[in-house]
Amino acid sequence: MKIITCVKHVPTSAVTPRIAVTKIGIEEEGLSYEVNEPDLYAIEEALYQRSLQGGSVTSVTVGPARAKEALHVAYAKGVDQCIHVVDENSRGTHPALNVRAIASIAKKLDCDLILAGIQADDDLQGQFGIALAEALALPVVTAVTEIRANSSARMVTVVRELGAGYKQELEVDLPCVLTIQFGIRPLRYTPVMAIVRARSRKIESIDLGALGISPEELRMANPVRVVELCYPEDSGRCELIDGPAPEMARNLVHKLVEAGVV
Amino acid sequence: MSSADVVIVCEAGKGQTEAANARLIAAGVELAAHRGGRLACLLSGHGVLAKATELAGYVDDVYLADSPQCEQFSPLAFLKAVQKLVEDLRPGAVLFGHTFIGMDLAPRLAAKLGVGVASNCFGLAMDADTVTFLRPMYRGRVHAKVVLESSPLIATLQLGASQLPLPNKAGNVTRIDVRPAESATVRPIRTIEPERQGVDITKAEIVVSGGRGIGTKENFSLVNDLADALGGVPACSRPLVDMGWFGTSRQVGLSGNTVKPKLYIACGISGAIEHLHGMKESGIIVAINQDPGAPIFKVAHFGMVGDLNELMPELIAQVRAARAATGSQSR
Repeated sequence: MKIITCVKHVPTSAVTPRIAVTKIGIEEEGLSYEVNEPDLYAIEEALYQRSLQGGSVTSVTVGPARAKEALHVAYAKGVDQCIHVVDENSRGTHPALNVRAIASIAKKLDCDLILAGIQADDDLQGQFGIALAEALALPVVTAVTEIRANSSARMVTVVRELGAGYKQELEVDLPCVLTIQFGIRPLRYTPVMAIVRARSRKIESIDLGALGISPEELRMANPVRVVELCYPEDSGRCELIDGPAPEMARNLVHKLVEAGVV
Repeated sequence: MSSADVVIVCEAGKGQTEAANARLIAAGVELAAHRGGRLACLLSGHGVLAKATELAGYVDDVYLADSPQCEQFSPLAFLKAVQKLVEDLRPGAVLFGHTFIGMDLAPRLAAKLGVGVASNCFGLAMDADTVTFLRPMYRGRVHAKVVLESSPLIATLQLGASQLPLPNKAGNVTRIDVRPAESATVRPIRTIEPERQGVDITKAEIVVSGGRGIGTKENFSLVNDLADALGGVPACSRPLVDMGWFGTSRQVGLSGNTVKPKLYIACGISGAIEHLHGMKESGIIVAINQDPGAPIFKVAHFGMVGDLNELMPELIAQVRAARAATGSQSR
């Protein structure tokens, strides 16, 4: 089975990015980046399927030079091949461009299965996998938590979430796109040394032009236009309780007793 | 219909249906009134005429795609229903709930129509000619105001707690005929019921939840002990289910349970949007977290920033002392 996983390099989830003075983007300088967490689950699942079915796993990212770091992690986790579509212009944040670029690579690789994380932690849109499937005219199932492949029958049986604890089992013909839900299988720890060693592995670098994506298309309108970013407003109601631990605990309990909930 | 009109894609299934529909009706009524258009509702399912009739109390028209193929969620059949309605009515906006069904259908519709979609919106702001959608980015650490430069406007709306108002309309219910393609590439087999084991956390008056910040499984005893001291139940956020510590019956959030206890204590939970969906309507919310920038503090009433290992044992002792003083028994 030939599997592609789509990987996005996103600002680390542990810190709040600084909003740029333009107010329509974030300040990249000083920001650290990581592999989008749901995409890590997609990589784990791809490797698991390879262990059962044989075949290969290729990870693809679209982004500026730093996005290579995401592919070092993919190599360290055990994928066979990595492709970096270099996009210094919109820096991996243009949804339609990402879809065009990865669709073009997927066509060339002629794969059986394309896995993408359920959503990117930066834009939280959750539409990439679906748009990719539409561009490739492939079936897609979202929020997948289990995959049972039957490659001789050219289909997979998957389980997806429906919310509130409900799930659903479906059959999907191959090739297809699946968007992978958090937790589909445990994330194995990746030692830093493995990532360092992976830096010497060859990453195929491709320009947008080589994929037939022209500068005009680079400027194509993104129908979802951010007009302003802001930090979440405080509801104004959160009372922070300060002091040494015993005092904080005593204060909180006092307030909860006053409120009648303890 | 005209581009002033609004379609809301309601749900008849299980799970978050009620909260999604209530939010869609509230937003749909507002948006249609602002644009001076009609409000139509699409309902797909099987044997859901009663639900359609109920929804007709809030909208001008209900379109009912009632067929055996829609008995369970079928991405292709449900999409066909929405597509057909959009082709027939040419509305200016199509709104979905931010449920797993809405999250699936809205981008599919947008991709078919070649337009944009704003997902996960928690608010809509309208002025003379623009609708601005408010939505989270960067794991909820930043909020964005976005506009859609394509038509129809497509968005998914976060679930609300909004109770439905008294019905004040008598919309027409019209059946629409939707036949899925003969050679469906995606074939639903069965819906899997939620696991039901142990206590029902949705019924508890006090819920103490642990998240990734708890660190180790052994350390979860702090959450158990605090819940026990308070006479409440322990619960958890998604990462602990993903790590296999608990099943989804213990999980608070969009994928698991929606809880509304009188007291919710979040320990080591940063407050991902999916988690907030499941608890933000709780009576009093307490957040204990090491990171003062964690989004959980935005919804909390009381916050303590610090090390769980220091704070929680103190809290457990203080709660026990307070309850002993008032004569309450811990379980």
